[in-house]
Amino acid sequence: MASVPNDIFFATATEINQKLKAKEFSVVELTRAFSERLQRLGPRYNALALALPEQARSAAKDVDGDIKRERFRGPLQGIPFGAKDLLAYEKQPTTWGARPYAGQVFDYTATALKKLAKTGSILLGKLAMVELAGGPSYRYASASLTGPGLNPWDRTRWSGGSSSGSAIAVAAGLATFALGSETSGSILTPSAFCGITGLRPTYGLVSRHGAMPLSWTLDKIGPMCRSAEDCGYVLQTIAGSDSEDPGSAGKSFYYTPQYARDFKDIRVGFAPVDFSDWAEPAARPDFAKALDTIKSLGVKISEIKLPEFPYGPVISTIISSEGSSVFEPLIQSGKVDELADQRQIAGLKAGLEIPAKDYLKAMRIRSLIQNAFRDLFYNVDVLLAPSRLTPATALTQPLDRPLSDRQMPSVPGLTALIPAGNLAGLPALSLPCGFADRLPIGIQLAGQPFSENLLLKLGRAFQERTDWHKRRPPLGEES
Amino acid sequence: MPGKLTRRQLAAALSSSAALLAQAPLPPLPQNPDEELKAARDQNRQIGEQLARFPLPMSTEPATRFKA
Repeated sequence: MASVPNDIFFATATEINQKLKAKEFSVVELTRAFSERLQRLGPRYNALALALPEQARSAAKDVDGDIKRERFRGPLQGIPFGAKDLLAYEKQPTTWGARPYAGQVFDYTATALKKLAKTGSILLGKLAMVELAGGPSYRYASASLTGPGLNPWDRTRWSGGSSSGSAIAVAAGLATFALGSETSGSILTPSAFCGITGLRPTYGLVSRHGAMPLSWTLDKIGPMCRSAEDCGYVLQTIAGSDSEDPGSAGKSFYYTPQYARDFKDIRVGFAPVDFSDWAEPAARPDFAKALDTIKSLGVKISEIKLPEFPYGPVISTIISSEGSSVFEPLIQSGKVDELADQRQIAGLKAGLEIPAKDYLKAMRIRSLIQNAFRDLFYNVDVLLAPSRLTPATALTQPLDRPLSDRQMPSVPGLTALIPAGNLAGLPALSLPCGFADRLPIGIQLAGQPFSENLLLKLGRAFQERTDWHKRRPPLGEES
Repeated sequence: MPGKLTRRQLAAALSSSAALLAQAPLPPLPQNPDEELKAARDQNRQIGEQLARFPLPMSTEPATRFKA
């Protein structure tokens, strides 16, 4: 067998799986190459929480045996991946990115990881994250046990969070895909900042058993990959009913974009002001091209605005109330003071004091938000907007301060789509769509609950017409 | 039973809170843990006031089902 070629680090799961079946290299060889690379380059970007080379090697050996006997288990068989360190892996540390939990060990493995193991995917290790997934809020990129996530495109920039290590690992070719989680923006933001494809599934589609809770009514686990197609295969594997997750929707997912409706029948809504005024000026040319590419698919495009609600206050109240309740023992013990970010410490403490009337008011408004989105989707199938309005921020940028002093438009466009979509439980797909100041930018497609195949169909078609998802960051000599 | 909100009621509630937020100058970054805690409490209080201004039909129940 030949050694593993360098291009493999940036290949998609489907490409690698074909080469494994063709016996161009073994799963053990592939795993060894990825493991070494993750351990060598991961720390350079503060992306690695825990390497699992022995476990990976043992699993790879088993998969090689299966392939030898022609027991094929799907496109993720033999594919090396990483998981956000918010997911439990039996008898190994699971730190949740936070010093107070540095020695935490569970005696069980998260459902999503078990499902990937069953299909023969190889877990290389756990990936860094913002402490406690950033709940309820934090000020600096450095809010992590492993330090700030450094963007592979420019190490003076942030990777985005809270699924920072997951995005870095995929962007830098340290893993073929990764699992992340989103409560409000934690998959879409790092995906956009690092130039990868990220999918936030419908609430309840993927089991959260074995995942750190932050907000029971908002948390989702999802794939972060090199293409929309890979996101489809990963979601197909990890989705499904789970009696151990009280939020489980009891639904499976089969990646079948070919059965989604024709492009001519897909209605895409967008707000021109997002692209012309809200977006950072340097990002506007590539955002405009992305919009043109979507239009060129033959979909029906129309202008739309979000239903008017105080999305920010509603989601902030829900995350603060639920997160502080989850972490009440940490707060009461005083160990909360060991966290890295002062704003986060204060936010957790203050969250315990939020009156029941505020939480209930937020949840009642949320009912109206969900109804309003149900109505909105009578008129459109997909909402299109920039994933983030700017490229990755500087590492030292306080995240609770405006990024620029330029005059912002008076109309909101779809700028609240991340909190709104999370409150309504909607799936969303972030696709790399260009660069601004040599940093990646992305667009997001959000759809009605359980419309992942529709989003992935659009995402795949977009990526057939563009090559942004194939671009590689300048990793230097060590790459 | 109170009916649905009118668009005018909704717009008034939202524009007042959004406008106030947009106009409010940002406070300086807190310098120590006590200031951080005070800032976090102040922020929660302001958010609570924003939520309180949002008119809701009496019959609106909290979102407790997320199986969309």
